[in-house]
Amino acid sequence: MFEEYNDYRKTIRDFALKEFTDGVAAKYDRDEEYPDDLRKKSLSLGIIDMQNPAKILIAIEELCRIDAGLGISVTTPYFGAEVLMLFGNDEQREFLNDVYSGKYILGLGVTEPSGGSDVAHIKTTATKKGDKYILNGSKMFITNGAIADYLVVLARTSNEEKPHHGLSTFLLNTKLNGFKANKLEGKLGVRATNTAELTFNNIELSKDDLIGEEGKGFYYIMTFFNISRIYVAAQALGIAEGAFDKILNYVKSNEIKDENTMFGIADISTRIEASKELTYNAASYLFKFEPRPQLTSMAKAYAGETAVYSSEKAMEILGVNSLNENVERIFRNAKIMEIWEGTSDVEKLIISRFILKGE
Amino acid sequence: MSNLDEENNILIDTVREFCEKNIDEKKIEEEKIGKNMNSLLASQGFLGAKIGDKYGGSALDDTSYHIILEEISKYSPSIAMKIFMINSLYMPAVINTEYESILSDVSSGKVNVSVDFMNDKYSLDYNSNVSGIIKNILNPDSKNIVLFDKKTIIAESPFKINEKDFMGFKGLKFGDIELDNKYNVVDDKNRKEDIILNSYNDLSAIALGIISGAINKAMEYSKVRTTFGAYLKNYEPLAFKLSEMHSKENILRSILYNNLDKYYTFNFAMDSIVEIARFSVNIHGGYGYFKDFGVEKFYRDAVILKSIFYGNEQLRQLSNHVYSEKLNFI
Repeated sequence: MFEEYNDYRKTIRDFALKEFTDGVAAKYDRDEEYPDDLRKKSLSLGIIDMQNPAKILIAIEELCRIDAGLGISVTTPYFGAEVLMLFGNDEQREFLNDVYSGKYILGLGVTEPSGGSDVAHIKTTATKKGDKYILNGSKMFITNGAIADYLVVLARTSNEEKPHHGLSTFLLNTKLNGFKANKLEGKLGVRATNTAELTFNNIELSKDDLIGEEGKGFYYIMTFFNISRIYVAAQALGIAEGAFDKILNYVKSNEIKDENTMFGIADISTRIEASKELTYNAASYLFKFEPRPQLTSMAKAYAGETAVYSSEKAMEILGVNSLNENVERIFRNAKIMEIWEGTSDVEKLIISRFILKGE
Repeated sequence: MSNLDEENNILIDTVREFCEKNIDEKKIEEEKIGKNMNSLLASQGFLGAKIGDKYGGSALDDTSYHIILEEISKYSPSIAMKIFMINSLYMPAVINTEYESILSDVSSGKVNVSVDFMNDKYSLDYNSNVSGIIKNILNPDSKNIVLFDKKTIIAESPFKINEKDFMGFKGLKFGDIELDNKYNVVDDKNRKEDIILNSYNDLSAIALGIISGAINKAMEYSKVRTTFGAYLKNYEPLAFKLSEMHSKENILRSILYNNLDKYYTFNFAMDSIVEIARFSVNIHGGYGYFKDFGVEKFYRDAVILKSIFYGNEQLRQLSNHVYSEKLNFI
């Protein structure tokens, strides 16, 4: 699957091997610093082609295979773009060209301190006042939160009987008065990525900042997550493959032949292959505009668990030799794959819901 | 459940009180275990828990020692690892040798000591010089370090240290040492295997503390955090899993303090520790991924403990023990 992109895959891999050296990855990880120079370099080489989702998927997988902190950092300046692409007006879609060119960094503000998975019950409000909306509230764990020029934000515009009916999406300029971002530090992994807590204090949004129709925000965001989850599956797949690369290199260079290790290699490679099939299969439906959310959630949940499993196995098989930062960093990076964009528990709820509906 | 007596329970309360009052693991991870903490640990008799009173130690029995390791691990696996390295690895290597007198300074916290339990190779010459690289050693800033070559030797400071960042037991310094130092032989045999084997229950006590610390965090969070309108504890998959983990914690405590076979206890501890620490992070959602919530440290330290002390060699020992013969593995 996606074999027609093998040359592109190689280009990405060569880029990552050249730019994401162990020293560079360790430095950004230690300093918890966003690698803006690498973002610009990847843009100048045209690494990310937002017009081609299959290429995005492959780029994410290959970059995260070398280092997930850097790989995710250079592929998330566009985070949230699909909401504008699918539901934005002409002007908002036009704006995306400046995001793709690297002029602006984008982010998505959905999760709040009181809940990540429970999107319908968010508390941030956008109260209509004349032809303006006044935004108040806070967001948590927002990727690119402290570096984004613009954010796609989900807020409550009305109180409906069904809470998810009262939500709307807005394009927020982070230079507006009342916006505050507090960079969060002390993450276990993917420390090169920027994560922030946001507060909105009486921010005045114009009606032109509304994305799509009022009250449809929940639907837009769920549609977005059904797309973005496939990219998280690709991140996780890349991490699992990267961990496996370390294991193979260690086993071969030390001529390790015991059967327990051989069984471990067989088990890890089987899970990676299954993750790959799930991810590419779900992606093939999605990219034909025939999304199957249950397949996407299966891919995300299974690949996420495989990333954690493979990285833990790398620590176990390499034993005391795993204690160098280039192996343990993979382990630390892996854990977030079971958490963001819907925890594994939420993915399981989505899967069972769709299965029971007979879809 | 466990055969702990009143004195043991008093000790548990004492150690907990000490930890509540004095241990801030986030600070310890950021600033490392310093002189003040060393003095505190020494004054409580924790640093020299197993060291004889001749050298200012507490000369505790195994149960009391395990209580200290378990209780401290719930708060600071780093401090527990420091105590373990002194009492379970260093002391057995130097006791009854000309080096044992240094145990006074060790139990009083005046000097640091370390043990290289990795698989490093050294060169020894006839002028009592040892050279080579010690990779990835905890406590490199030590007065002397026990090394395992064909013999068990002690290398003397000063050491040329390349300090590095490390994800596990972050309260301890960590790094590589470029050896070009004087050494002395403390035993004609390499005692690494028997020293580690004898420390299985001690390692299990640290594992139990990590497991217990992680589950406590997860259970507390599940009682106060709501999602989709209900407390986390009221969701079956989460409650079932947490209850299963809590059962494992109590089984481990029971077999450890009832002194069941140390191989079985250690295997059970290592088989449970990573899964439990990982799930405890999961329960916390995004918050679990951040240091401030104090749960991800258990996951890091669980994986490192297992990576260092548990692998194919320990599984082979377990199998040999179960079959009561040395198996000829292919």
